[in-house]
Amino acid sequence: MRKGLLAAAAVLAVSLALREDDFALLLLTRVLIVILACLGLNVQFGYAGVVNFAGATFFGVGGYTAAVLARSTAVPHLFILLIGGAAAALAGTILVVPVLRTRGHYAALVTIAFALLFRTFFEVNDALGGPQGLKLPELRIGPVHFNDAIEIGSFFASFYLKYIVLSLLLAALGFAFVLRLERSFIGVALDCIRLDEIAAASFGVDVARWKIVAFTLGNFLIGLAGALSAFMVGFIAPDNYSFGESLIFVSILLLGGLGNPWGLSLASAVVLLLPEKLQVIAEYRFLLFAAVVILILLFRPAGLLPRPLRRLT
Amino acid sequence: MRIILAALLFSLAAQAKETVRIAFIGPLTGGNSAVGLGGRNSADLAVKLHNAGPGSKYQYELVVLDDECKPDAGVQMATKAGSDRSIVAGVTHYCSVVAMATVDTFHRFGLPTIVWGAVLPDITYGHDFKEIHRVNGTMINQNETNAKFMAAQGYKKFAVIHDTTDYGKGHDKYFTKFITESGGQIVGDFGVTADQQDFTAELTQIKALSPQALYFGGLTPIGVRIRSQMDKLGLNAQFDGTSGIVNDDFIKALGPLAESVLAFREGAPAEKLPGGRKFLEEYGKQGYSNPPEAYGPFAFVAADLLMQTIEKTGPDRRKIIAGLAQVKDFDSIVGKITFDDHGQNTVPVITKYVAQDGKWVLWEESEYARGSRKLRGK
Repeated sequence: MRKGLLAAAAVLAVSLALREDDFALLLLTRVLIVILACLGLNVQFGYAGVVNFAGATFFGVGGYTAAVLARSTAVPHLFILLIGGAAAALAGTILVVPVLRTRGHYAALVTIAFALLFRTFFEVNDALGGPQGLKLPELRIGPVHFNDAIEIGSFFASFYLKYIVLSLLLAALGFAFVLRLERSFIGVALDCIRLDEIAAASFGVDVARWKIVAFTLGNFLIGLAGALSAFMVGFIAPDNYSFGESLIFVSILLLGGLGNPWGLSLASAVVLLLPEKLQVIAEYRFLLFAAVVILILLFRPAGLLPRPLRRLT
Repeated sequence: MRIILAALLFSLAAQAKETVRIAFIGPLTGGNSAVGLGGRNSADLAVKLHNAGPGSKYQYELVVLDDECKPDAGVQMATKAGSDRSIVAGVTHYCSVVAMATVDTFHRFGLPTIVWGAVLPDITYGHDFKEIHRVNGTMINQNETNAKFMAAQGYKKFAVIHDTTDYGKGHDKYFTKFITESGGQIVGDFGVTADQQDFTAELTQIKALSPQALYFGGLTPIGVRIRSQMDKLGLNAQFDGTSGIVNDDFIKALGPLAESVLAFREGAPAEKLPGGRKFLEEYGKQGYSNPPEAYGPFAFVAADLLMQTIEKTGPDRRKIIAGLAQVKDFDSIVGKITFDDHGQNTVPVITKYVAQDGKWVLWEESEYARGSRKLRGK
């Protein structure tokens, strides 16, 4: 709890210091949004052991829901964010049966197929903007217009500061929620299922139920992040939600250490900021970036911050 | 001694010049990186030539950013360029979907930009922002020329394969429109995803329809696959392509199969204009590891036009926008440039190409035009 508040305060302090630098704030917001999405993936992958290679797709479902609702209805935007999460959770129910019936590599394949299917669905669906994508209106919550710069007396700050505050709030809530979940009996049940399904079932843990809970909760968080991201970028297109993006989400999880929210936060920052810092070397940056990732996994195979052992006493 | 002193003075004078930064944004990684790197090198060449030339008031520096051909990465880079006040203008985007996504960002930051490759009409015509300009033509002009040319060559039955991106769909729309106006007929129209590998299903159906020509609206990677799979299935229709395949990779990947493929590109052919020959010469001298590709000359012209405008107006974003609005009959290596009130170059020259002996050859100079070789499917 203390650690979390300190981290949030640190992020806020850094963004205040950089308040006039739009680009730095944009990057920071992106990191926070990706943390939120990866928290969802962490519940699925890290706790319940449900493999999901369609992270970017659920992210996209949230984004597209936000775009369609914000363009053609008068639903308040704060609700739209939540509905974005709910829509992703709902889309996930399509996958529930095949995910429950398959294991390991096969479950991974199911989610990959789903990701490719949805990508094509976005692309050929002209009502959703087709390959051209959709533009989103400005995010408004109550009296706050998110795309106006902040000017109070002599205090000036980029409009991205508002996005930071909002995404920090959501990421912090998501973080607290995931930590609580891990400590609760649900977390114990999920761990049991991941480690040994048969043993868990013989101890009376309802494997199917908890897998569904984890999968749906995770997708909700991913969709919520996707909706927020769509509003911030102001434009969505299928290219944003390619299979490659899903792999990046998964790699953040593995890089950070499966099951550790702190690890994935650190890894999100590394994965998003490092290629950006390497812009100077243009076309070679992903090469170097890939080398760094391989080195990290070589020397720290369990990730940057491996999950500590659960103590039940 | 005197020479050294002169050299010293000269270098001092050079250092005293104010440095002006302009951004280049294009796809440097991913499937379209060949074109992106060609554009980057060409813009870089423009800056180097300008800095080396006499009489320029400023020292220019090119800030290179990678949009990965993805809208969200594009917006991120546009924000980076726009929020950096030391950058006064930008040479931006090859991919249409990215160029569409960043229009608002450039407007918000008031950064004057010139699009160097994206061909979707809405990029300039979809809004009233004064910041956005474009030196290349749109896909409307390109397909009008293409359709008229094919009709004149006597082709009547066409099958279409296009990718389902905005680029492919737009090409499909305008080509279909112009070819039906010219009396042609589309017997089959197939949309495919931009990363599809196997086209047997589409091509088998097309073969049954026996078209004289296959129109392809898309970029090099799937163009190569379609052309080679046509051969495997024995589909002997003329391959009619768009600007998306006018690059060396296309011919390299296909080898002899590329022979007789047609393609169209906006802009006059650089190698035929006096400035263009110089461009190719200088490009060769720099020893870049990639060729300029089809859109390199446009990136060169966009950078050059920006620098010439900055010389007149000074490095101030608003003044540059005002300066660009005045551009009329600007002589460039891709032909004359005049911006309309949407910042679109209104003098589109479309060049026709045919692949002959492993090279893209101007149609007018090819053996096909002279009649010693024949196009397919006739």
